[in-house]
Amino acid sequence: MIQMYHVYKTFGRDVEALVDVSLHIEKGEFAFLAGPSGAGKTTLLRLIYRDEVPTSGQIVVNGRNVLKLPGRHLPHLRRTIGVIFQDFKLLRDRAVFENLALVARVLGMRTVAGKRKVAQVLRLVGLSHRANTIPYKLSGGEQQRVAIARALMNDPLILLADEPTGNLDAELAADIFRLLREINAKGTTVLVATHDMDLAGEHGRHVLTLKQGRIVEDYRDGR
Amino acid sequence: MMDRMRHTLTDALTNLGRAGWSGLASVGTIAVAFLIVGIFLLLTQNLSAALGQWRDQYQVTVFLDDRIAADQLALLKKRIANERAVRAVAYISKAEALQAFKRELKGRESLLEGLGENPIPASFQLRIQEENQTPAALRQLAAFLSRLEGVEEVQYGQEWIDRMAAVLNVMRLIGLSVGLALGVASLLIVSNTVRLAIYARAEEIEIMRLVGATKTTVRLPFLLEGLIQGGAGAGLALGLLFAAYRITLYKLQMAPGQASGLGLGSFLPASAVMTMLAVGAALGAIGSLLSVSRLLRA
Repeated sequence: MIQMYHVYKTFGRDVEALVDVSLHIEKGEFAFLAGPSGAGKTTLLRLIYRDEVPTSGQIVVNGRNVLKLPGRHLPHLRRTIGVIFQDFKLLRDRAVFENLALVARVLGMRTVAGKRKVAQVLRLVGLSHRANTIPYKLSGGEQQRVAIARALMNDPLILLADEPTGNLDAELAADIFRLLREINAKGTTVLVATHDMDLAGEHGRHVLTLKQGRIVEDYRDGR
Repeated sequence: MMDRMRHTLTDALTNLGRAGWSGLASVGTIAVAFLIVGIFLLLTQNLSAALGQWRDQYQVTVFLDDRIAADQLALLKKRIANERAVRAVAYISKAEALQAFKRELKGRESLLEGLGENPIPASFQLRIQEENQTPAALRQLAAFLSRLEGVEEVQYGQEWIDRMAAVLNVMRLIGLSVGLALGVASLLIVSNTVRLAIYARAEEIEIMRLVGATKTTVRLPFLLEGLIQGGAGAGLALGLLFAAYRITLYKLQMAPGQASGLGLGSFLPASAVMTMLAVGAALGAIGSLLSVSRLLRA
């Protein structure tokens, strides 16, 4: 589902964010990208939905070479990917419902279909009762779940989660992982970036460890 | 499709609401620009209408030598009537001219007492073909006529019309250049307002792009926003102009379109109103486009 071949990413002249990264993530996998902060996890995720382009190397997502994708097809790539951002990226001046409805509109859904979809994803993350709340009035865990709900609006083939439990206590983190597993069980390929190696070891069947921009370990359960 | 258009329109209106004062600033600037252009348009239109009327009234008058013989008079009339620029010729005898003069002096006829002989010359009143009612053509015609046998003097509202026409041209020029300058200014201000709006909504735009919005989806609301601002500005200007026009008419005690038979007192024609609205909307849209394509290139 996601393949990288000898990917390098250099910022400016000499900041090497990623060095010779090659990886394979299969369809339907629940994979982890583990590593300390600053290791290049977020950059790697951004390459997948082409928010960044690599300095060199090739990236294939869902069978298509991301770098050879013409600009006008970029929206189509992104519509197959759900992203849970580290900082959530929720609009503070709009209620939860509007935050999600924005995606429905971008996807070109009709009003009724859009409302139904919003209701559906909110039910899935257990926040139906919060639809009309402004995000900053929600707890951290709830905001995280809104971010997940938004990433699910397009029924993505791939779900990328950047530190989805970064600032949650263990109990809430377990909740979030239960949710991600549920999503994965329905066939969505999930890639979670985390600095928490224990967490990755505990939940991951496929753990890629990133250090200073290099993949230092590619562990696959049962292989 | 309808759904999407409604969404886009709602978006644009919501954003206008959020833009608040800066949005009003663009509408205001465009309104000022169009108000000034509109004032010039209205003035030149009314003045040129008046000029046309005056031209029609102020015919060329050919005063005749008192000693002219009857056959010579007939010949002269024929000659003048054959002139291409002349539409019609009417003869006014000395007696008729005196009668007319007396009518004008109504109540003060005593002024004329003591005049032994009728001092007013006979004349031909000429009506001039439309296409020859330019200052240059009239001057040429007058020069020709004054050289004819039996003609004492040729009069027409020459200087007066010349001066009016010159004033009108200057006014048109001022109106045009002021309008152009203000048009450019409003373009810049709209583009600036939209730029602020884009900055203010950077987060939303980023999210939209990351979840797969097409360029059109992102840009259309801004374009519409500019369009509405421009159209509203022009509309506001036209409203103010119309109000000012009605108040002026009221103060002058004139009815619309009819003012002492001079063709004064009409508002801009519908075509001009529509054009101004369209130009306003276009200015807004272009201003918006300038910012949008610069800031949302990626």
